[in-house]
Amino acid sequence: MRRPIAIALVLLSAIPLVVAVAGLPAHGDPSAPVHTHVSAHYIERGAEEAGATNLVTGVLLNYRGLDAAGEVTVIFTALIAVLAILLGTGTTPESTASSRGASDRRGADRESTVAPVSPIVSFVVRLLAPFIALYAAYVILHGHVTPGGGFQGGAILAGLFIALAMVLGTRAMQPVARTALAPWLQGAAVLSFVVVGTVGAFLTGFFLGFPAEPPLHLVRELLIIALEVGIAIGGAAVLATIFLHMEAS
Amino acid sequence: MIVMLWHNIDYVASVVLFSIGLYVVIAKENLIKKFLGLNIMETAVFAFIIALGMVEDGRPPIMTGDAQGPFASPLPQTLVLTGIVVAVSTTALALTLIIRIFRRFGTIEANELREME
Amino acid sequence: MSLTFDILLLLYLVAAALVVAQAKDLLAASIVFSSYGLALCLLWQYRGAPDVAMAEAAVGAGITTVLFLVAIGRTTRREK
Repeated sequence: MRRPIAIALVLLSAIPLVVAVAGLPAHGDPSAPVHTHVSAHYIERGAEEAGATNLVTGVLLNYRGLDAAGEVTVIFTALIAVLAILLGTGTTPESTASSRGASDRRGADRESTVAPVSPIVSFVVRLLAPFIALYAAYVILHGHVTPGGGFQGGAILAGLFIALAMVLGTRAMQPVARTALAPWLQGAAVLSFVVVGTVGAFLTGFFLGFPAEPPLHLVRELLIIALEVGIAIGGAAVLATIFLHMEAS
Repeated sequence: MIVMLWHNIDYVASVVLFSIGLYVVIAKENLIKKFLGLNIMETAVFAFIIALGMVEDGRPPIMTGDAQGPFASPLPQTLVLTGIVVAVSTTALALTLIIRIFRRFGTIEANELREME
Repeated sequence: MSLTFDILLLLYLVAAALVVAQAKDLLAASIVFSSYGLALCLLWQYRGAPDVAMAEAAVGAGITTVLFLVAIGRTTRREK
């Protein structure tokens, strides 16, 4: 009954979209507006102005640094909201476990955090873990030269953490997640933007400004790497913490 | 117009994916399904933006010493990179809310939740 | 670049999205969504956007799917 209405609504929105799309510049046309305005400047001068061979990193952290600062604030806020929803009602996971009612369809087996893992999966994850970590470090630290950067490397680190948590059980990861350092790791992305922004303010007079003149342009590369490392650690910690708390809920 | 659409097949595919996502969000009652649909909508928009920034025979915008143009535009890629991270944040928040809803009401079907009021 | 590969990839994306839309089993839908993300990553690599492809492979196909799986494990697997 709802289905015809839904299909009609979807068609109603799809037809104008198709008509609009047909009027766009041809796919891959080098004279389209997207290639002739600010992008042309980025491609022509970006590598020397922003101090990053990888223009995506240069645009993300240098030209549009405030944009990236807002973005890391978004993921940090998401972490705070997730924790508020899962922990903020005064009921800890332990106390809700006993009060779960008839709606709980799986009962007691939810208590075990270690799902039975095939020995092959366990072995492969353990075997590959150091290499994944090495790859993540390469992606993070080399992100201004080759494809990659803080977000990608952070997501790979978080994926590694989640894979290890699945193989070893979330209990085994608790010592890592409960250290006194954990809040600092979760806030690392936002904090690195504050620190680098302030350093930039001292060097250039603008918040998140990067010095472009010859004597200081090596500092600029260091600042970009510091931002990348901060974003990666912060992003990985936030995603891993969200996973651990959803898993433990 | 059909010829135009054939050349812009990436854009058409984005519109189709967006429509499928929109249909899932509207027509399905399961909240997790709705968010799978929302994720499809998001990725469709990302695919559209990436397709906009692409150039014929374009290379990735990475300026190593001997790189030759034409280069794909870096700006849309940057925006999409931001968008992907925001998308995973909203998904995580939504799924957390869904887990809480299930714990409180024992269902995640939107019609059953409406009847409970 | 080869148009055939383009069209195959786009057709796969649409087919995967349709499967996600129709599957009654949420676990299956999530796994197909993961493969959808991976195909999208391939498309973007092909479109000259390796940074975005890497982010989509790690975040879209990896983390998002894991979060969906955890949510399904904590709620129900079947859609009514």
